[in-house]
Amino acid sequence: MDFFTSMDISASALAAERTRMNLISSNLANVNSTRTAEGGPYRRKDAVFTATPVKEGNSFGAALSRANEARSVQVTQINEDQRPPRLQYEPGHPDADANGYVAYPNVNVVEEMADMITASRSYEANITATNAAKSMALKTLDLLR
Amino acid sequence: MPVQGLFGTTVELLGKTLDLRAKRQTMISANLANVETPGYTSTDLSFEGQLKSALKQGPNAGSLTNPRHIPLKGASVASLEKVQGDVVEVSSRNMAPDGNGVEMETEMGRLAENQIMYNASVQILTKKFEELKQAIRGTL
Repeated sequence: MDFFTSMDISASALAAERTRMNLISSNLANVNSTRTAEGGPYRRKDAVFTATPVKEGNSFGAALSRANEARSVQVTQINEDQRPPRLQYEPGHPDADANGYVAYPNVNVVEEMADMITASRSYEANITATNAAKSMALKTLDLLR
Repeated sequence: MPVQGLFGTTVELLGKTLDLRAKRQTMISANLANVETPGYTSTDLSFEGQLKSALKQGPNAGSLTNPRHIPLKGASVASLEKVQGDVVEVSSRNMAPDGNGVEMETEMGRLAENQIMYNASVQILTKKFEELKQAIRGTL
């Protein structure tokens, strides 16, 4: 049944968007973290999405969709933003440098909020696609009644 | 096959439609899944034209020497089965800076259209089978 491929694809997108949402949460949570295990302030993290062919399956449906290049999505890399940290003058801070500046993470809260909305909208769109595939498959089963 | 006389091409056509629409559903899901993948171009399955021409010209259609001839029944079943649909890349009017060409609104519209048409085909198929059942029973 081809609908299961369709659901697999939507599910891959849901997983990818969830990963992205986790990274956004992490960025927002660490907006003021000046210390990390690697040293230095926290750096903004972002997911890199790649369109990948549907997983190798034995089913005929999977083979068919490979031929048609219907591709699912996967997070293939978690990118660390290389933009310079935000410098703030705080001479009393334990992590201040010789000039009294503290390096804060390069996280822009507004940017993260915008990304969060896109991620949640994409998530909803994929839920709708899953529901559509599900209802179509169930409708087909009604033929047997 | 004597059964073909009973079902005509309607069941074949509807079955093929369901098959193609299910395939199209997968492609729309893929487009929606890749709505934020850089460099992804959305794809669609186009099959309406192919289905139409398959219905019109069966393998035996050439034997019609007069426009008033009635085509042979079930002649186009074989050509219907051959219809696979064309995978087309949909060019977007406003591509994102990262090269992604998926328009979520268009995809949602296509998703709804595909779903409604699929349900319509299933409904007609159900009706067809009901009619056959009635004919077999001989009661209404």
